[in-house]
Formats: sequence, structure tokens, C-alpha cells
Amino acid sequence: MAEKGQTNVEHLGGVVRLREQHEKVVKDCESRMQHWRKVSGDYEALTDRLQTLPDQLSYDIMVPFGPLAFMPGKLVHTNEITVLLGDNWFAKCSAKQAQKIVDHRMKYVKNELDDLSKTMKNFEARVGFAKDLETISASKGDYVDIREEVGNNDSALTKGKQRIAHKPNSKPKLDVVWDLKEEDEEDEGERGDGGSRKGVMTEEELWARLDELEKLEELQDEQDRLSDNADMNGEDTSSSSSEEEKEAEAAPPVNGLSLKPSWSSISDSKAPLSTDRKKDDEEEEDNCLPTIFFSHTVEPKKVRINTGKNTTLKFSERKEQKEHSKRKKKNGHNNGHCHHELHKITTPADIYRLFVDVKNGEPIPRKSILKSRSRENSVCSDTSESSAADFEERRMIGRSFSHDEHSDTSDGITEEDSPTTVPLQLPSRYELLYFHFSLLQAFSGTVIEKDPMPSAVPHLTISPPALPTILERKQEEVAPDVSPPQQLPKRVSKFKAARLQQK
Amino acid sequence: MAEAIQKKLKAEVEKYAQMQKDVSKSMSARQKLETQLAENNIVKEELDLLNSSNVVYKLIGPVLVKQDVDEAKATVAKRLEYINGEIQRYESVLKEMEKKSEQHREVLTSLQQEFQKAQGLAAGKV
Repeated sequence: MAEKGQTNVEHLGGVVRLREQHEKVVKDCESRMQHWRKVSGDYEALTDRLQTLPDQLSYDIMVPFGPLAFMPGKLVHTNEITVLLGDNWFAKCSAKQAQKIVDHRMKYVKNELDDLSKTMKNFEARVGFAKDLETISASKGDYVDIREEVGNNDSALTKGKQRIAHKPNSKPKLDVVWDLKEEDEEDEGERGDGGSRKGVMTEEELWARLDELEKLEELQDEQDRLSDNADMNGEDTSSSSSEEEKEAEAAPPVNGLSLKPSWSSISDSKAPLSTDRKKDDEEEEDNCLPTIFFSHTVEPKKVRINTGKNTTLKFSERKEQKEHSKRKKKNGHNNGHCHHELHKITTPADIYRLFVDVKNGEPIPRKSILKSRSRENSVCSDTSESSAADFEERRMIGRSFSHDEHSDTSDGITEEDSPTTVPLQLPSRYELLYFHFSLLQAFSGTVIEKDPMPSAVPHLTISPPALPTILERKQEEVAPDVSPPQQLPKRVSKFKAARLQQK
Repeated sequence: MAEAIQKKLKAEVEKYAQMQKDVSKSMSARQKLETQLAENNIVKEELDLLNSSNVVYKLIGPVLVKQDVDEAKATVAKRLEYINGEIQRYESVLKEMEKKSEQHREVLTSLQQEFQKAQGLAAGKV
């Protein structure tokens, strides 16, 4: 209160002074107005005089003689009036002209008076206000000034967090770009493809590029299969090269840097077998082994079902690659470079195209993508240990998704493929889902294929998790067809066995 | 220390006072000009009211000198222009002086602060 009192006193002092100043102005205005009023009066008298003066030729008057004396005299030339115009200028004019001048002056005087009166009114109002303020600050009057102490921004804070205005597409793209870049690097590094990609390409460009590379790889695979055993990924002659390429491809396009080394190492041992199997299981259409690349993952891990043995396709955890994953099917490419284009599964036919086992230098459509060979090919032989638990979940997930269309097949598949699928370590369920969705797309219609693959393919869709595993395993294991359901618990062991086998 | 500052302060204050005087001088001159302007305007208008028949005199000292009406009008017009020019000149001068005085004011305030600080220190020491 003391403070308030003090402020009040200060305010009071200031207000008083303000009021005093205002009052001064008002007084000044008042005096001036008085002056002008006097002038105006004088001019009116003059007007009268001027009107009467020319009535007579001359007047008898008492002329002032100095300050103390008068003397009698006559006023002549009554019509001649010397008018002081101002600034030492005089003009001789008749009474009427003088009258005009006087009128003119009167106008001026009146203007001045009006201005002054306005000013005075203004200041009078201010004075009144100052008086009120004075009483308020002195807390004498009825009016009280409402004061609130301002807190420390307590209420001023926004409820939520301060939002930062991000520019559109400023951040999210980075990851994708980076991923793609990695892919590119990988591609080039691994396969030595001619496909020298630019640092960062747009997705579309990348897809296109992938297509090109895929085709190239297919050709190469053909040759490699015939010629080489140990390709980049150490796959089998026929399959290995293709697989390697596939995997290599898979790796670059995806971010799966981590996958690559593991995958490649695994693939080396398993490649030969895996590729074959994969091919058998998977695609009939394409010669190359399609590898399933999850778009979300940069790594080849994606789903190298074909890799079978080593298929340690690990799904990179990137959701950004969703689209990639959607498009990618399991590619049993021996090339291993699943171009995104190739992986794009838009029709059921694509699956067959993608999942093709390469046997004897020819792509043989797989009977079942998910299957046994799939078992062998199950990617996650390595990772099966950890994925055992996950597999269950995935299966459930897979089932939930697939219930609509491929329920029948799914059941069968899951049973069969469970062991294979489980081992696969999927980075996340989301990816599985995406993959699943992507596959569902492909299998929107009925699959009309002679090969058993069609049956397998739907399975594939059903259990996305299984996909990679299956593909991978296919190449790996020869005896995958053994009851998958049993393998659920034993998956780990089986994959290990497969791996051992390959080794 | 405090004394030095004090001296400085005094000097600055004097300068500032001088400046203020100059400013006020200019102000008053300008005001005069303004009144003259108003007056001459009236003269002009009143001269326009007259015709060539009546005689116009100019008061030069104690002598009324006859002037031609037209001449008078021309003279008055010239005077008006002259007054306007003078007013503008004075205005510019006033602005400059205002600026200078502002600067001086700032200097003064800063010096005052220093002085107070020094005084406070001295008081503290003492």
C-alpha cells in the first residue's frame, strides 16, 4: 500500500502540474479573446462613425492640443480618410472604401476570436480531465483507478508449446534423401554397377533408375549365373550372382546399410542355394531373382527371400520407405539389386515376376514364395533367435490383415511358414504392415497361376513378416517344407541348421 | 574523479544553456516574421479593395511618402515573399539547433549519471 500511496502521490503531483499548465493556457486564450473582442468593438464604432461622417461637409469639434488642452476647430474633408493598412502603409480613401477595409478587418478579427474560443474549449476539457485524475489519484473522489499488478507472464504463456513454423518439406525430406543417397552409394559400391547415381535423386528418378539397373542386373545375372559362383554376395552360381545382385541392389536402394554386411556375409555361404530356391519358389515371369525390398528399408534386407540362407534381410526401420516397400515385392533376383521398380508389386503377376528362382541359369517361378524352400530361405535364420517372439506377433498381425482375402491360404501359410517367417527379424511391425498392404495390393485379384506359387504368394501377403524369411530361406534350405508349424518354436534351430547347412 | 566529472558537467550545462538561448532567439524571430506575414497579407488584401483613384502613402520615418497604388501593391507582394523565405530559413535553422540541443542533452544526462555514480562511490567510500 505504501508503494501505491507513493505512486499516487507522484501521480498526484504530476496531475496537479498538468492541470496547472492547462489552466494557464486557458487563461491565455481568455486574455487574447478579450483583446480581440475589444478590437471588434472598436471597429464597430468606427463603422458607425464612417457612416455618419460624410453627412456633413465639416464638423465643429474640440481638437485635442497636446495631452492637456483642447481647442475649438473644424473637421473638414469628411470623406477623405487615410487608412493605415499595416506595416507603415497608408491609403487615402473615401469613407465607403474605408468602410470596406474595416469590414475586411472585422472578418479577420472574428476569425481570430473563433480560433481562440476553440482552443480555450479544448484546454478547458483537459483541465477537467486533469482534475478528475487528480481526485482519483488522491483517492478522494468517487472514481477509482483500477490497477492490476502484472504477473510474470503467468497467464501470457501459451497453453501449449510454442509452435515452430516449419517450412513445408524442410525436414522430412532429409531422411529420404539421405536414404536414397545411401542406396545410391551402396549400389555403386557394391555392384559396381554402371548405375552411377547422382547424389540425390528424386524418388521417381530413383525408381526409374532402379528399373534400369534391374534390367541390367537381370542380364548380368544371367551371365553371372552361368559364369560366376561367387558374386558379390557370394550366392550360388546361378542364384548367387543374381542374389548377390539382388541383395546388392536391395541394399543400395534401401537404407539398410547395416543389413548389407550381414546379409552379404550370409549370402555368401547361402547364396548358391538360396538363389535357386528362391527362384523356384517365386517368380516365373522374370528371369532375375526378385528380391523383396521393403521400401522402408534401404537395405536389401528387405526381403530377400531368395537369399534363403543368409537372408538376414533385416528390415530397416524406416517408415519412410513405406512406399518402397509397397512397391517392392519379394524379389528373388539374383541380381540382388531390386530396383524399386522391380519391387513394385502392383499386380499378382509381379509377384511371380519377382519371386523367381534361378535354376540353371533360368528363372523358374517359385512354387511358393512363402514356402519351404522358403523355410530354407527364411531370411532370419540368423536372427531367428530374437525373432521367435516377434514371429508370433507378426503372425497374428499377418493374419489380421490377411483375413479378408487370403484367409484360407493364410492359415495354411502361416502354419507352414511360421517357422520361416518368425526368424525374420522385422524391424517393426509397421513395416510388416506396409509390406503386407503392398502385397495385398498385388493380390487384389484372384491369382490364376498354374504354379503352386500362386498359392504361396497369397500366403506371402498374408504374413508379411514371413515374406522375407521365406524368401531368404528358400535359398538356404532344401528341406523347408517340413512342417512349418512345428518349427515355430524350433525356428531358431532350423534356421541355424539351414545356415549351418549352407556353410 | 567526482570533481572532474563535476567540472565536465558544468561545462556541458553551460553549453547546453547557450544552445537553448540560440534556439529561443530563433524562435522569437520566427514568430515576428509570422506576425509580419499576417499583417502584410491584410495590407495586400486591403490594397486590392482600393482602386487607383485614392492615393497611397508610405510612412518612412516621420514622413508620409506618396506611393503609387500599383507600386504599393507590388512592394507589398515582394515583402510577403521575402517574409516567407525568411520564415523557412529560420525554420531550418531551428531544426538544426534542436538536434544539437538534443545531442547536448544526451551528453548531459550521461555525464550526470556518471557524476551520480561517482558521488555514490565517494559517499560509499566516505
